[in-house]
Amino acid sequence: MHIPDNYLSPSTCAVMGAAMIPVWTIAVKKVKKEVPKERIPLLGIGAAFSFLLMMFNVPIPGGTTAHAIGATLLAILLGPWAATISITIALLIQALLFGDGGILAFGANCFNMAFVAPFVGYFIYKFIKERVSARKGEYIGIVAGSYIGINMAALCAAIEFGIQPLLFKNAAGLPLYCPYPLSVSIPAMMISHLAVAGIVEVIFTIAIYAFIKRVSPGMIYEGAKQKIKSVYAIIFALICLSPLGLLATGTAWGEWGLDEIKNVIIGGKSLGFIPEGMKNGFSFNALFPDYSMKGMPDAIGYILSALAGAAILIIIFKIISALKKGKPKNI
Amino acid sequence: MTEKDIPEWLLKNENYFPQSDKDTFINKSITSLLGVLSHIRRQSGHKTDLFGINATFSVIFTILFIILLSVSRSLFFVITANIYLLLILCLLKGEDIMVILKTSFGVAAFTFIILLPTALYGNFYSITMITPKIFASVTAINILSRTNRWDSIISALKTFFIPDIFILVLDVTIMYIVLLGEFSLDMLYALKLRSVGKNKSKQASLSGIVGTMFIKSKEMAEDTYAAMRCRGFTGEYHTYRKFKFSFVDSLYIIANAIIILCFIYFGRYFRK
Repeated sequence: MHIPDNYLSPSTCAVMGAAMIPVWTIAVKKVKKEVPKERIPLLGIGAAFSFLLMMFNVPIPGGTTAHAIGATLLAILLGPWAATISITIALLIQALLFGDGGILAFGANCFNMAFVAPFVGYFIYKFIKERVSARKGEYIGIVAGSYIGINMAALCAAIEFGIQPLLFKNAAGLPLYCPYPLSVSIPAMMISHLAVAGIVEVIFTIAIYAFIKRVSPGMIYEGAKQKIKSVYAIIFALICLSPLGLLATGTAWGEWGLDEIKNVIIGGKSLGFIPEGMKNGFSFNALFPDYSMKGMPDAIGYILSALAGAAILIIIFKIISALKKGKPKNI
Repeated sequence: MTEKDIPEWLLKNENYFPQSDKDTFINKSITSLLGVLSHIRRQSGHKTDLFGINATFSVIFTILFIILLSVSRSLFFVITANIYLLLILCLLKGEDIMVILKTSFGVAAFTFIILLPTALYGNFYSITMITPKIFASVTAINILSRTNRWDSIISALKTFFIPDIFILVLDVTIMYIVLLGEFSLDMLYALKLRSVGKNKSKQASLSGIVGTMFIKSKEMAEDTYAAMRCRGFTGEYHTYRKFKFSFVDSLYIIANAIIILCFIYFGRYFRK
């Protein structure tokens, strides 16, 4: 679910990053209150744990393997705010040092995996646990929480992908970033997550939780004893589900006519304008409309291709020699 | 010792053929853990940053480069950016080049396949623009992480006004990825070695490994905290760094200035 750069527009990335800032601020404050200031190493080690969690492969029916995110598990073990910080740091290390997930898309990735997944998972877990009797409720809560948590994160990612072709087009009406509308991105993401990733997440979460509960029950995060009022839980669930609501009302999301586009409601406000690219209409017959290569001075073209050629040759030779060096020499 | 002394069951010929069992998930977990550990080890092996470019400049320009790539609508700029990366790549060591290109080609190929349906419907813009863009941004980040020591990349984050405490947490994280990673690697090896024949409880053991890793991480956190406390840690952490400006830095800045000029030039003159 790590979104790489260039699938999302820079402005979407900026919006998602901005959305994460208050979350991070509150998370730091909450954790500081719960965890004494000096106990900072705990956060780093929690992050290392969440990073390594993604390295473990779980066998799935059909002979293949998959890895879990463990967002709900971390939220249950460390508390949701600490989980947000831990996953954020794990994602930062992946993006900056391992090249996994984009730098610009960092905000969006954090929103999906470090905020939506642990929080939805944790609150569903807590909501069910407090209402269903003892042990049974706990496990039903974990199953529901981890399954819905990861699927909500996937849905958010799908929506982020899906709004790209709607909002960002070039003059010819071709999408600048991810070209698939919601009608494609949502089923594509959701089918795989509902059918496979969600189940892997549930198995992983429940097995590890049961183990820790058995071996060292004192280590699990207790959290404040306050009861979550049902009303808040329902509101929270509705907020999470609201994108689905948009899909259900009227024309399918992403498939409006030009006159409808103006009235599309995003975040409570109607769009109020027709995206420029759509007004001009689609013209698929223009193959490379936006970047004409005509008029490019020959000299620059030659220089560029010469540089590329030389670089590629050097790279090939270096790879060949590296491969040779790696093999044991015959004596 | 006579033959009598030896118990009879020892003299019998045994034909034990262990049933073969699938353990792909253990192997895969081991490989991904080993991959991460070797990646971290390799970079800490560098005595200094490769090329000697100041990590602050590397981080700033790499991020700027990725932003320019993402914003640009000119295929020519994207090609120039890729050529620039190839030029940097050919200055690196063969092993590094291989690893970097493997990831970049992997991600680009994935993107290509994902975008293929749009091309079949006549939208060639996405496939011709996004694939090279993704190739370039993945390569850029991997070059950054391969040519700089990670601690210098992390301390370079200070330029972006990231609080000291956050930098400390990042440092601790990388350190403990290695420690906890080695710890769980040992457990995975043990699980693999001790499963002879069919072992049905193998999958259950995996949750034991991760669970133990969690318990261990909590213990380690407490120990680290105690150790830091004993050495006078009060919760305040300051990162200090020396700022050096060398000849290579100026070359690097010039190269990046050219890239920015290319962005402006191609953006202005080669768009309809």
